[in-house]
Amino acid sequence: MEDQNPEPSTTANDRIKFNVGGKLFETTVSTLRSGGSDSLLSALSNRPAHDPVFIDRDPEIFSVLLSLLRSNRLPSTAKRFSNQELIDEALYFGVESHLRSALAPIPLNGIDSTLLTTVKPSSDGVVSDFHAVDGDESLWVAHGGQISVYDWNLSHVATVRTHLDFISSIKRIRPDVAAVGSLYGSGLHFYNVANGRRVSSAEWVDTSDVRIHKARVHAIADSEGSVFASYDCHHGENCVLMIDKSTMEISSEIGRMSGNSSKNMVPTKLTYVSEMGVLVGSSVMSGAFGYSGYVRLWDPRTRDVVWEMSDPGSGRSSRFGDSFADVDVDLDELRLFKICSKSGDLAVADMRKLSDDPWVYLKEKNPSMRNVGGNGGGNFVIHCYRKQAFVGREGELEVWSRVEGSEDEGIANEGLYRRNYVDKVEDSGRGIIKKIEGGGDRLFVTRENVEGIEVWQSSYNSGVVSVL
Amino acid sequence: MPPFAGSKSFSNGFHQDSNSNIVTIDVGGQLFQTTKQTLSLAGSKSLFSSISNSNQGVPFIDRDPELFSILLSLLRTGNLPSKAKAFDIQDLISESQFYGIENILINSQSNPSQFDAYNLEKSLVLPLSGRDSASTISTTKYGSLHVAHGSKITSFDWSLQRKSTILTQFTAIDSLLALSPTTAAAGATDFSGLQIIDLDKGFVKDTLNWENVTRSDSTVQAIGTSPEYLFTSFESGRRNSNCIMIYDLNNSLHPVTKIGHYEIFGADLDSAIPATKLQWVPSHNLLMASGSHSGPSGVLGNIKFWDIRSGNVVWELKEKVDCFSDITVSDTLSAMFKVGVNTGEVFFADLRNMDAYVPWICLGDGRKLANGKKEGYGCKINTHGNQVLCSKGNNLELWSEVLFGSTQKQGDNLSERVFKKNLMGRSNDIGGSRITNFDFGGNKMYVTRKDQQCVEVWNSVRGF
Repeated sequence: MEDQNPEPSTTANDRIKFNVGGKLFETTVSTLRSGGSDSLLSALSNRPAHDPVFIDRDPEIFSVLLSLLRSNRLPSTAKRFSNQELIDEALYFGVESHLRSALAPIPLNGIDSTLLTTVKPSSDGVVSDFHAVDGDESLWVAHGGQISVYDWNLSHVATVRTHLDFISSIKRIRPDVAAVGSLYGSGLHFYNVANGRRVSSAEWVDTSDVRIHKARVHAIADSEGSVFASYDCHHGENCVLMIDKSTMEISSEIGRMSGNSSKNMVPTKLTYVSEMGVLVGSSVMSGAFGYSGYVRLWDPRTRDVVWEMSDPGSGRSSRFGDSFADVDVDLDELRLFKICSKSGDLAVADMRKLSDDPWVYLKEKNPSMRNVGGNGGGNFVIHCYRKQAFVGREGELEVWSRVEGSEDEGIANEGLYRRNYVDKVEDSGRGIIKKIEGGGDRLFVTRENVEGIEVWQSSYNSGVVSVL
Repeated sequence: MPPFAGSKSFSNGFHQDSNSNIVTIDVGGQLFQTTKQTLSLAGSKSLFSSISNSNQGVPFIDRDPELFSILLSLLRTGNLPSKAKAFDIQDLISESQFYGIENILINSQSNPSQFDAYNLEKSLVLPLSGRDSASTISTTKYGSLHVAHGSKITSFDWSLQRKSTILTQFTAIDSLLALSPTTAAAGATDFSGLQIIDLDKGFVKDTLNWENVTRSDSTVQAIGTSPEYLFTSFESGRRNSNCIMIYDLNNSLHPVTKIGHYEIFGADLDSAIPATKLQWVPSHNLLMASGSHSGPSGVLGNIKFWDIRSGNVVWELKEKVDCFSDITVSDTLSAMFKVGVNTGEVFFADLRNMDAYVPWICLGDGRKLANGKKEGYGCKINTHGNQVLCSKGNNLELWSEVLFGSTQKQGDNLSERVFKKNLMGRSNDIGGSRITNFDFGGNKMYVTRKDQQCVEVWNSVRGF
């Protein structure tokens, strides 16, 4: 608009008229400006106010967006339109951030979540890995040799076929770029999903050791400026490489290990804890004599090990014969959660006070829950999200959540966490849970040899059913 | 699209101002306002262009206002609003035909640019009446479909909601090519001549024939087309001569010229192979003609690229080992793809490197086959956009090129191209009997299977 001279006539309480597709609307300038300063509507609010501004769009859908701006919630008339339609129209008027917050799920509450939908790629539907991004709520899915991206509305954005036959790990590292690795092919590869090209790749090579060759990537983590990937060679030697995000060059090598025993296998899970500036790596092996593994914390700047524990190992709080099956980091509360392979118990450790003996075992006081799950089946996964620990036991999905009102006691008290099922009995029959990950207040779950990703979210909608 | 009218000429209320950009229309008693620009998107032949040019008051149209509001939304956004779901697509089609904007409706619902091979899923099944399964199918750009089954041709319109069936003189149709939504060229390997059939009324408009020196009649082996020409591969009834005839599509199918006329004398097996697939390669201005037959030493074949103006073979490839079971040329990838009849593997040959001694590069896959047996017999291969699809038994493979590097520069190292495959469909789409045909039209893919009296429609489904 050329005539954007700030006229004194348009103050916040001035009324303004619109003619949208033949219907008249009247609203205040302040309502329009709440749509954000760069929206089409707030730009129109700067016009001289005597004539109604004509906008050639559908009036019904405009009335939905206008009441969204007025009340910050979607009116019930919005149900007549699909989400995609509302999004398209909100993009036109430049109020999509408003719509997004109105459509976004409520904070994820594990004790009150329901299965919303299952996202299924249209080919190679069994998902090998995925990354639910918390910033823009997108979902990045590796299935077979393909990467598929879904936006915050869970609608399909793009699919890229990679040169890998089977992707085993994926991480979104930049808004358009995913890092992928495969256990069946070497190297870490960066694919830009906007143009479908491989933009870069990183192989682990050592000029002084020719055996470092065709190293495969097992786990990927990312921080603000770098990507971390754990590599191992066919003879077992392994390390974590730190790759600079801007140059896509390898910047350092962390924690090189020989891989000749379970205490120095390649890390199969990597998490970067930005508050503490440490990289948490863990590896679990299951053999004839049960589980063994380690958790190790590195400082990527000095490349030193800050703390480590291994199972089976020493330490009073490590239970003999009951080593951990999975470990995850609660990034909100800086805690480590482990689940024991034999008893199925959960233990928590405060990352700020890591010692030789950090684990506190959580007791389940609910008598009806006490003896379930602890049958040593072994297919345990744990994921921490929004201060809750989600656990998959075979096909069952449960959540450990903190009881409110006991903030300052730390974790010394074992009874602070309560265990509840997220799912129903019939949900657990769908298959063994392989991965749980939270993102954008949704919980995503994949199951072994089952197509698609389950999406769980909380809702204020009671879901009341008429039985008449 | 202009979002709002020019800043000076506002009309307050609903007065029609002849200088204004805003147009008021009364449809069935309801007033609608829009801009001249939006109406001009409907095209000059539509009812809207006459409305926006008229200067006399508020024009009244005696139609349903709800349907009109849907079509107005379609003009504004290019998409159908979700309230259109309350109506049958047939209502919208007839209403859009009244306003003369059916092409915009087709564009929003069946646009080839919305085709997304990665996002195709089996969504519809079109039943065919009677007991014959489909022998061949042909599609048009915007997704109308013609299916030959037995002696009949059933045509579906682009919305796949309406069909009509006609009877032909053939006992079975082997080659079918849609020339327009209402005409098709049809031929058979056991019937003399190529028939141009009006599919609306079901009569033969024209019969094209080729006679060799002995004046015996000839059967149709393949049909192909380019924007200007219709190509037909004929073989004489006694199977001792064959040729490719070229007809002018823009000049009432007048024969233009004849290429590749071979008469067989003696035991020269090679020249006896008529072309069974004809494909026009626009970027090279060449016609690809391929044919194969099985002989005592296995399947033999040849691929010829014809310059139709000079009538010369520009490039010829003899297939002696692992001959193609089907072959296709992709213009966008500038490559040729085949399925080997013995191995069932997909091979590609770069068109920019046609002089290589062995141009074929096998696009093998490191993974083991799910069901051990490798065989290419009956496999079909077809290309759409920058993807190659290949049917193997009851499965469809999607081959796509993996691009490396951040720049568009490609093709310096010809051997370095990487193609990877996926199996199409989810686990409950996979299976069924052997795929006999597949083709593309609009945003859809059509698949027919052996002994199935139906056509599967695979659609790119959007959203949640």
